[in-house]
Amino acid sequence: MSSRDKILATVQNNQPGPRDLPHHIPSGPTASVDLDSAFISVLESIGGSAFIVSGYARIATILHEQFSDAHRIVSGCPQLPTFEAGRPGEDPHALENVDLAILPAHFGVAENGACWITEAQMIERALPFISQHLALVIRRKDIVADMHEAYARIASLESAAETPYGFATFIAGPSKTADIEQSLVLGAHGPASLTVFLIDEQLSDAGFF
Amino acid sequence: MSSTNHKDHAALAATFNKDEPRVEWHDQTLWWVRQKRDKAAAKVPDWEILRDTASRIKDNVLSNLSGYLRQFEEEATRNGITVHWAADAQEHNEILYSILSRHKVDKMVKSKSMLTEECHLNEFLHQKGIEVIDTDLGERVVQLAGEPPSHIVLPCIHKKKEEIGEIFHEHLGTPAGNSDPQFLTHAARLHLREKFLTRRVALTGVNFAIAETGEFVVCTNEGNADMGAHLADVHIACMGIEKLIPQRHHLGVFLRLLTRSATGQPITTYSSHFRKPRPGQEMHIVLVDNGRSTHLGRKDFRNSLKCIRCAACFNTCPVYRRSGGHSYHTAVAGPIGSILSPNLDMKKYADLPFASTLCGSCSNVCPVKIDIHEQLYKWRQVIVQENGAPIGKTAAMKAMNWVLSHPGVYHTAGKTGRWFMLNAPFTVNNGLNAWYRQRDMPEPPKQSFGEWYKKNKQ
Repeated sequence: MSSRDKILATVQNNQPGPRDLPHHIPSGPTASVDLDSAFISVLESIGGSAFIVSGYARIATILHEQFSDAHRIVSGCPQLPTFEAGRPGEDPHALENVDLAILPAHFGVAENGACWITEAQMIERALPFISQHLALVIRRKDIVADMHEAYARIASLESAAETPYGFATFIAGPSKTADIEQSLVLGAHGPASLTVFLIDEQLSDAGFF
Repeated sequence: MSSTNHKDHAALAATFNKDEPRVEWHDQTLWWVRQKRDKAAAKVPDWEILRDTASRIKDNVLSNLSGYLRQFEEEATRNGITVHWAADAQEHNEILYSILSRHKVDKMVKSKSMLTEECHLNEFLHQKGIEVIDTDLGERVVQLAGEPPSHIVLPCIHKKKEEIGEIFHEHLGTPAGNSDPQFLTHAARLHLREKFLTRRVALTGVNFAIAETGEFVVCTNEGNADMGAHLADVHIACMGIEKLIPQRHHLGVFLRLLTRSATGQPITTYSSHFRKPRPGQEMHIVLVDNGRSTHLGRKDFRNSLKCIRCAACFNTCPVYRRSGGHSYHTAVAGPIGSILSPNLDMKKYADLPFASTLCGSCSNVCPVKIDIHEQLYKWRQVIVQENGAPIGKTAAMKAMNWVLSHPGVYHTAGKTGRWFMLNAPFTVNNGLNAWYRQRDMPEPPKQSFGEWYKKNKQ
């Protein structure tokens, strides 16, 4: 008898009688909360930063200014032609010299400041992790209240997608560790900073900068 | 307590307790993490309902684990992942070794996996000439120090930054005397980047595996699991069979609970969902039993298989905080380790269910509502039935039984005891009295309740 069959037989023999899944999954408050300001405040509390912008032109201005010293900036947003366009299929090891990656994400989550990004948006799976800094772009209206809504959104994205994702991740803030005496240090292995841009086309840039 | 020749929890805790300021520091650090958990939990309005829901989802998982395992295997295989089954630690290690030798690889990176600690994978591979680099910063620290992790979430919580500075000076060549966490973390970042970029095989643990979709989720703050997996030609993920959940949307419940319970963060920096290998990559999952299927059959103890490894029970435990993780001499320490380990080896870990005050704080913070302190109490009974109690305890219990069943003896013994405590305290306040070793004796009353009652009876 193979280990597989042995394990399955023992499990089947030892598992308790049927227990139903809970029908109702609780969810936090939704409509009454100002989702984008909740998202931004949580993101800032976990070491990230956010900009509400009118469009890609503003994003380009901000990032060119902030990363004027950078050697290599790779973009996954076709709307940002002034940056190097990421090439799918590039050896992920060659991305080690990327200072900043700018990538689109699907949506943000207000309760924890996370953004959901799937493989197709990453150019290479390694890029959002290996880059020294990371910027993500979402639409201001694409913020859900909590993780229950997040998975509902993921399900609808998946049913609309041609192929399901092979890899996807929630990213909440910069890479961090507190393993040395509980002192928080940003930039453990991945990006040392995370900036999330929230695009609101209704917005005028006047008065923001 | 134990009949084997290793040191038991009490002896190891006594060693840890020799350095009182360190114990105080360890205690306070973990209590601070516990308080962060409380604040995070209080911010979620439906926290208790969430815990209850998580517990009920896990009830369902345990009741249909064989079905979910089959479903997961089918879906993961369809996704292009190779699924392996390991009955025990030995088979798990052999599977890993066979994958590595097939690729002619003698070096790999590994992100945090308590399962591989449980299976002693590093030692096994080391003997085969394979180098394993632990990439979680805390795990790398203890690996360089030649120690096991002392905490499942905070592996080097027992180490002071000065000690870490020394370890890094010795192994990574950082300047002597530099113990700045920012500096040391950056040194580790550079050191480990080189490993990520040059290793062809990466091993990760698994936080959750989803039967419905055949994907698995790995949560880290550092990004080390992703750095390893996405740069390697071969990604191997190892998981205990109890890590399954039925559907993807159930992650909504578990990811809300996990990190808030662990460190008080709203979520880990990365919650990565692996469903298919990237083009050209090989992806393996090793499903490990190692006693879990037997444990599932123990009605009183099976709930411990609901554990999502957040370590909230560690941080709140007055015994863990004051005895340190190494005193548990097992991969998963703390209250949850004390109810999981006896299942693996009831003799070797017979001391662990006794390493508790049964205060119940562990059960109160557990995000999946495991009745930890009740199981600790039940394990004590099982262990005494199976192994017997130590001679001292048995003799004391027998003597107590005799005294309590003879009222005359009871009254005389009480009177005599009080007389000695009042007039000759050295006869009880000495090393022969096990109670006195860690505690002061109470001040004896001048009379017993019986005497008082006789006197004041109308």
